[in-house]
This record gives sequence, C-alpha cells and structure tokens, in this order.
Amino acid sequence: MATLNLQNITKSFGASQVLKGIDLAIKDKEFVVFVGPSGCGKSTLLRIVAGLEEATSGAIVIEGTDVSALAPVDRGISMVFQSYALYPHLTVFENIAFPLRVQKLPETEVKSKVAKAAEILQLTEKLQLKPGQLSGGQRQRVAIGRSIVRNPKIFLFDEPLSNLDAALRGDMRVELSQLHRDLAATMIYVTHDQVEAMTMAHRIVVLNAGKVEQFGTPMELYHHPATRFVATFIGQPNMNLVPAKVLGYDTRGLAVELDGGAQLTLPVDGAAAKKGDRIEVGMRPENIHLGQGLSMKVRVLERLGGTSITYGHMDNGQRFCAALPGDADVAEGQTVDLSINPADCHVFDASGAVLRRLMAPALAA
Amino acid sequence: MTETSLPAKARRRGLSEAWFAWALIFPAVAFIGVIVAWPLLETIRLSFTNADMNSESWVGLSNYQKLLGSTKFFTIIGLTFYWMVLSVSLKLIVGLIGATLLSAAVPGRALFRMLIMPPWVIPIAIGCIGWLWVYNGQFGIVSGMAQRFGLLSGPFEFLAYKNSAFYSCIITDVWVGTPMVSLFFLAAMQGVSRDLYEAAWVDGAGRWYRFRRITIPQIMPVIVSMALLSAIWTFNSFDIIWILTQGGPRGGTTTMIIDTYKTAIGNFKFGEGSARAVAIVILLGLFSLLYLTLLNRVNKFYGVK
Repeated sequence: MATLNLQNITKSFGASQVLKGIDLAIKDKEFVVFVGPSGCGKSTLLRIVAGLEEATSGAIVIEGTDVSALAPVDRGISMVFQSYALYPHLTVFENIAFPLRVQKLPETEVKSKVAKAAEILQLTEKLQLKPGQLSGGQRQRVAIGRSIVRNPKIFLFDEPLSNLDAALRGDMRVELSQLHRDLAATMIYVTHDQVEAMTMAHRIVVLNAGKVEQFGTPMELYHHPATRFVATFIGQPNMNLVPAKVLGYDTRGLAVELDGGAQLTLPVDGAAAKKGDRIEVGMRPENIHLGQGLSMKVRVLERLGGTSITYGHMDNGQRFCAALPGDADVAEGQTVDLSINPADCHVFDASGAVLRRLMAPALAA
Repeated sequence: MTETSLPAKARRRGLSEAWFAWALIFPAVAFIGVIVAWPLLETIRLSFTNADMNSESWVGLSNYQKLLGSTKFFTIIGLTFYWMVLSVSLKLIVGLIGATLLSAAVPGRALFRMLIMPPWVIPIAIGCIGWLWVYNGQFGIVSGMAQRFGLLSGPFEFLAYKNSAFYSCIITDVWVGTPMVSLFFLAAMQGVSRDLYEAAWVDGAGRWYRFRRITIPQIMPVIVSMALLSAIWTFNSFDIIWILTQGGPRGGTTTMIIDTYKTAIGNFKFGEGSARAVAIVILLGLFSLLYLTLLNRVNKFYGVK
C-alpha cells in the first residue's frame, strides 16, 4: 500500500528538544514498532506522522508525496488511540461509521463498509450496543474498526494495548499480527513494552532521548545491539554489564580481564581497541549456565518453572543476574559457579558503542 | 450458642445505630423544618383562610375558586411561562456561545474568563439600578444611541410600555443569569476528552462537525440539568423585575411571583396571596417532575448510565 519516509524530523516544545533529527525509511506493508522508555519522543513522533503535531523541521513523505503540510485526513493515515477515543453517546455501528459520516457517504455504502469491518473484527453482534457496554478488548476492536473503514494507506497505533490486562494483551497481540496479515497494510505501532515490539514487529525503531538508537529486525536488535542502551532495553531480564579492561587483540579475538579478575577471550571485532581501554562486557542472563569461571552469591531466586532466575552479586560486589534451568540446584544465600560461552558476550566501548560480534547466530544476519 | 446470641446482639447494635443516625441528621432536619417545612405548611393553611392584617377565618376553597374563575390569573400564568421559556432559552444559547469562545485556545483567555463574572458577582440590586439608567429615555445610553443613529426620532422610555418593558426585563435577566450557565458549560466542555476531538480530526471532521457531534452530545446532561435549574430560578425571579418595573406598566411584567407578592404583601391579602404561592409550588412541582424524567432519559441516551 504505502511507504513512509521521515526526513530529519525535529520537534521542540519551547526550549526543550524532544526529537533531534529522525530519519527513517519504512517499507510498504511493513509492521514497524517504535519502542523506547517514556519520554523518549516515540508518541510525539507518531503524532507528527498523524498530523496531530507539527514538526519543527523536516519532511514526512508518504508514497513519494510530501504530506508535511496536509491535514491528517488528507495524509491517508488512520490512528488508534491508547484511550480508544470512542464516542460514548454513539452505538458501536455509529462509532465505526464516524469517518464515513464525515465523508457524507450514502447510507448503503456506510452499511456495507461497517458490516465488513465488523465481520473482520467479530463485532457483528455488538453493533447496536454503546461502548460503555463492551469489554476492554471489544472497545479496542471498535477503535480498530473505525480505522479500517477509511481504508488508509498507513495505520498508526499509539500504545493500543496498554489499557488491557496481561492475558487479554497477549490475545490482542496475536489478533493484531493476524489483522496486519489480512489487511496487508503498512502499520506503525508505538509501545514502551519490548515484548510487544519483539513479538509483532518486522522491524523495530528503538528511540532514546529523541534519537534513533537502532532500526532493525527483532533478532538483529537482540544479537547485534548497536549501543549499550539497546542491549539493556531489549531482552528480559536485562543484560548484565560487567566492567572490564582490554588486555590485547589478536586473531582469536579481544582478550579482556573482568573487574572481578576472570579473563576471557571474546570473538569480537576489536581492531580499534587498545590495551588498557576500559570497556563493558554484556552478558545476557539466558546465556549464562552453571560451570566454572564466574562466581555469584545468590540473593534472590525466582523459580518460574521452566527457568530459575537468580539475582545477586559477584565477588567484587558487581550486580549480576543469571537465568538457569528450572530445576537448577541453587538456593538463596548460596555461592554458585557460572560460565558463559565467549561467543555470546557483547562488548561496548567507553562511548557505549558496540564492538561487532564475529560469531553470532546465523538468524541475526 | 453463638447463633442464638447473635440476633439479640444485632438488634441492640441496630437500635443504637439508628439513634446515632437520627442524632446526626437532627440539626439538618430541625433547620429545614423551621426554614422550609413550617412556612410551606403555614402557607397551605393560610390559603384556605381570608387572613389579613386584622383577622383570619376559614373560607375553604373560595380563594382557589376565585383564582380559577379569573382570566387575569391565567394571563399571568401564560406570561410567566413565556418569560421563563424565552429567558432560559436565551441564557442557554448565549451561555453555550460564551463557553465555546472561552474554551477556545486564545491568548489571554484567563482574563476573558474573569471578565464574564461581574454580572453574576455584583449584587443584583446594583446591577439593576445600572440597567434602570441604561433604559432611561432622557439620559439612557440605548435611547441616546438610537437617536444618534436615527433609529428613534425622540427619547424612548423603555420601561414605560408593556412590550418594551417586558423585553427589557428579559435582557437584564439574561445578563444576570448567563455567566453561571457559561461557567457550567465551560467546565463540562473541559471535561470532554481531547482524544475524542483528535480522533475526529484525524477522520476529517471540521470544527462545526466536532462541535455538533462531540461537544454537544458530551455536555448534553449538563445542558439539560442547567436548563432545569435555570428554569426554576427564572420562574421565581423576583428582584430584577421588581427593581426595574414593579410588575408594570399595567401588569406588562407581572409574573406569578410578582402577582403573589403584590397580593400578599402589597395588599395584605395573606389568604389570597398564599393560594397563589401554592399554585406556583404545584406548577413548578409538575414541571420539575416532567423535567427529571426527561433528564433521566437524556443521561441514559448519552451513555452516562
């Protein structure tokens, strides 16, 4: 249906700059998720694409046409709001029909379009009810129905699932992915929940402090985080960052000494690193297993069944977390010996930039 | 054992709770009894007598028979409802326009919000004395301006003729009553979620369309309840008319409340006056009942539940 190009978008509210030059090229029929901590500018960016906010500078190009100066309705977008923004005094039918009423379409056309949207969203039985009589998930579907009937080039979603309870959120995630497949439309989705981002997106835009940290597929972000921020933001539980010192670099990789004393040779591209440089070694809790080399005193143990997550400290006081097998023989207060495959380690230089991993799994490309 | 002892215990606790509840509401009940209930009952009793300054004796329904037999009384009822409907409609329309303008994002709107308050804040008597000068034929600003622009050939005393006096009173009543209506509407408008407007804008709805299909329905419960309150106040509006015209000229501004006052207090016919007051209570009671039913339906329709 449509491509979207953002060219050097900036936005300032008074003296504070919330978006600092965003460039993105989103492909046709792509499902792109904007993710980041609250205040990172992701919602503002979406509202700029929608036309609800004006960018301070930069251009929004949809399907090759610069729409920066157009009203929202002329941009060919539709938006689903976090609060659903349903009209409480109108029936479900009239809520879905609202955009068509604005366009003054003939009654028969309105009826057939609403009926079609209601069928896709399984709302046919509910058309004569008021939003107040619906459950959260049904209201969400009505809001989506209202955006479907306009047949937009691009769908925009602003944290649409954050008002739902956890179980329903899981169901709606699957439904939205299904809907994306059925409609074959370009969708942009804003969330602060990395699970939603990882599960639904073709590609994820990680935003932090008004800048794009990284734009890539979920597995790229997971295996090749471009920065320390992305590495700690993606993945649950968060990645451990252990301060270390560079000992040297050769064909086998980067030799480092962790602050706790352990020495590792990590297969990363360390050509730029010099002996004695301070770096941080990132270790995902799920890559750590029982073994030798690292030791940790367990403070808190969370048994989730399939995995046991341990939180604690290394000998030198460094906080550490490991996700061990569900029935691992560990207990709170115990000191356990752990190890990690050097190929699974991430290395970040003092500026937070990554040293590229050379032996990452093939899927990440 | 415990089961058998339970009811006695519960009853004793229930009794003391009831006493406590009565003790709590006693001050309010006593106050309402003295200020509202007793005068109301006394008025109803008086309406069956021919009480005046000197004496009173039971006359049964004769005061009411007199009222029902008088065409003048029905003219006054008609005039009162016309006064109420016209004045309330104008207050609602002007109030709605005012609230819309005040909720618009214009620079200095806090100042405008303050500026609409004076008609409501200053004592009605003082405001009305100001209006007396405005309507004055020889020195008044309206008469003067109309003559300057050639609309009038000579001085026109607005309060001296039946029709002009009636509409002059309406204008003053609207002037006094509109600010509060505006503020209520403004508060209701501010309560409408911004998301609704943004969603409608994304779907291409213009300003007027959003006003018509979002703002009005969303504040409809407030419009309806405000209309009821305003109707009761306007129906019983005494001070404005009394200061401006005292019900004149020739009964041109005599509403039911003015008529009641003139009869009971002006002519010391307490019995006949009370019958008129009871008529007002009955009419307003019926009117409110009708209105509350309507309000209930409106609330249901607009999803307030």
